[in-house]
Amino acid sequence: MEAAETNAAKVKMKKQSPWTIARRKLFSNKLAMISLAFLITVTVMAYAAPLLTGYDPSRVDIMSRGLPPGEGHILGTDSSGRDIWTLLLYGARTSLTIGFVCMFAIVIIATFVGSVSGYFGGWVDAVLMRFTDFIMNFPFLVFVIVLASIFRGAGIWALIIVLSALSWTGAARVVRSKVMSEKENEYVMAATSIGGTPFKVIRKHILPNVMTTIIVQATLLLAVMIVAETALSFLGFGVPQGTPSWGNMMTEARDPNVIRTQWWVWIPPGLAITFTILAINFIGEGFKDAFNPRSIR
Amino acid sequence: MLIYTLRRILIMIPILFMVSIVVFSLALAMPGDALSGQIDPTNADPEYIEERREELGLNDPIHVQYGSWAANILQWDFGRSFQHQMDVTQLIGTRLPNTILLSVMSLIITYILAFYMGKYAGRNPYTKGDYAVQGVNYLMLAIPSFVAALFAIFIFAFQLGWFPSTGSVGSGLEQGTMAYWGSKIYHTFLPALVLGMLTTASYTQFLRNDMVESAQKDYVRTARAKGTDENTIYNKHILRNSIIPIVTLFGFDIASIIGGAVIIETIFSYRGIGELLVASISNRDSAVVMAIFLMLSVATLIGNLLADLLYGIIDPRIRVG
Repeated sequence: MEAAETNAAKVKMKKQSPWTIARRKLFSNKLAMISLAFLITVTVMAYAAPLLTGYDPSRVDIMSRGLPPGEGHILGTDSSGRDIWTLLLYGARTSLTIGFVCMFAIVIIATFVGSVSGYFGGWVDAVLMRFTDFIMNFPFLVFVIVLASIFRGAGIWALIIVLSALSWTGAARVVRSKVMSEKENEYVMAATSIGGTPFKVIRKHILPNVMTTIIVQATLLLAVMIVAETALSFLGFGVPQGTPSWGNMMTEARDPNVIRTQWWVWIPPGLAITFTILAINFIGEGFKDAFNPRSIR
Repeated sequence: MLIYTLRRILIMIPILFMVSIVVFSLALAMPGDALSGQIDPTNADPEYIEERREELGLNDPIHVQYGSWAANILQWDFGRSFQHQMDVTQLIGTRLPNTILLSVMSLIITYILAFYMGKYAGRNPYTKGDYAVQGVNYLMLAIPSFVAALFAIFIFAFQLGWFPSTGSVGSGLEQGTMAYWGSKIYHTFLPALVLGMLTTASYTQFLRNDMVESAQKDYVRTARAKGTDENTIYNKHILRNSIIPIVTLFGFDIASIIGGAVIIETIFSYRGIGELLVASISNRDSAVVMAIFLMLSVATLIGNLLADLLYGIIDPRIRVG
């Protein structure tokens, strides 16, 4: 009787797809769930910014310059009289949008290069990987700064293109190695033998199995891209000066006097960036753990 | 090993050539005259620019320009800085020692912190101390360098007043004296700490995980069975094996330090290469920008080569591939 019951339980267990198991593991990971809730809240607040503040992020108000937090301005104002809380919300919109757009662009490039390189092997692989290595050999930040200074004034899209064009290499390598090991499996041979074209085999059979790796990579990339955008904007090579972004907000702190006396100008965006990155990293760890069949949680 | 090393170095030559082409193309796209730095970027008179361009050979066909530029570089001539009115090599020469000092100090800080934190966490896994170390790691991985730098300046320089907030050396000190070097190290400490902290997390995590894994291995069980005391097991058997793979991270560190130094030096107004790069871009001093870009690219390349070579020394299987 008991044996039958455990057998029934086993059958029930078997019915769960890997995705169901992963989802269950992810949902039971408290840290990842809190982080996800935090990230969603920040994103919603960023896009609902006009509902949460009465100020205009670009309006310069000479009468209320450099005010400390207090009545009217919850987090005070910066040196041109803009409300910090408002800038923080609209800045989140810019920084997160750039992060997400770059992430998607990079995932598409990396998946394409990685799967083509890994699946076909041979000279295709050699050429693509030498090219990848070549881009990797440049100091990322310095290259971005030089490119950004050439395209200065071209706006947010130029920044997104520059960031994406230089950061897909690591993810492409990971996808490639994963595809290489995946294509040795019999189901790939079966799919090819019934006449599946390479791109169909990659798209329908291999990519679903590589998806978990791609998701983990994408999460990490989102964090890296947000940091890159804010750091570049902070140095003055990122988002155009007038556009509110977390990095642009902190530009004022390049003046030591601002660091010392006007902490409310740079601490809020600084903390916002740090906690967002922290949350994204925890979500990434959660994904990694949930997709790992060997982890027991 | 010798053949492996030679092969790796030979591969560098075509890569260097391609790097130089990329740098050259970017130089042509830069505003102003990035190749020789002898045209005043503030003078917008078209006649003046055209005259100078003709004089400097900037109207020659591109391959001719590349040839003369590459020939100059090979003779260690990177053009002139218009802003500073001196040769770029000379200008970089005044800044490079500062950046090297910063990098070396940050590496030392990284190694010391990572060694003790990783060793402690690896020896006491899944304890409160381990979780504390991991928490610090997560924070260090999450906080962007410029945010960390601002907090460091705010807390250590302004609130506590322990360190200076800007500069790379005190004023009015004679070069070469003990006081001069002391002041230099004193000024470098805070930026080096911030720079070092950022790479510490990955080292610590690596060391900890490797130690936890090694503790399960057969040779450790053998050592325990023979009655070796725990301290010896950890310090002699496990630690020695776990530290070796870390060596390979060193090469990649060069790349991450270069990126970090640009940001950190700018915030601390530390007179190094990174600060010079950012300032030169703002001043449209393109010749300096290109020289630094080329130099840092080559440094990254050498860093990656070093990582490969170190890997080859540690893991002989790599050499065959």
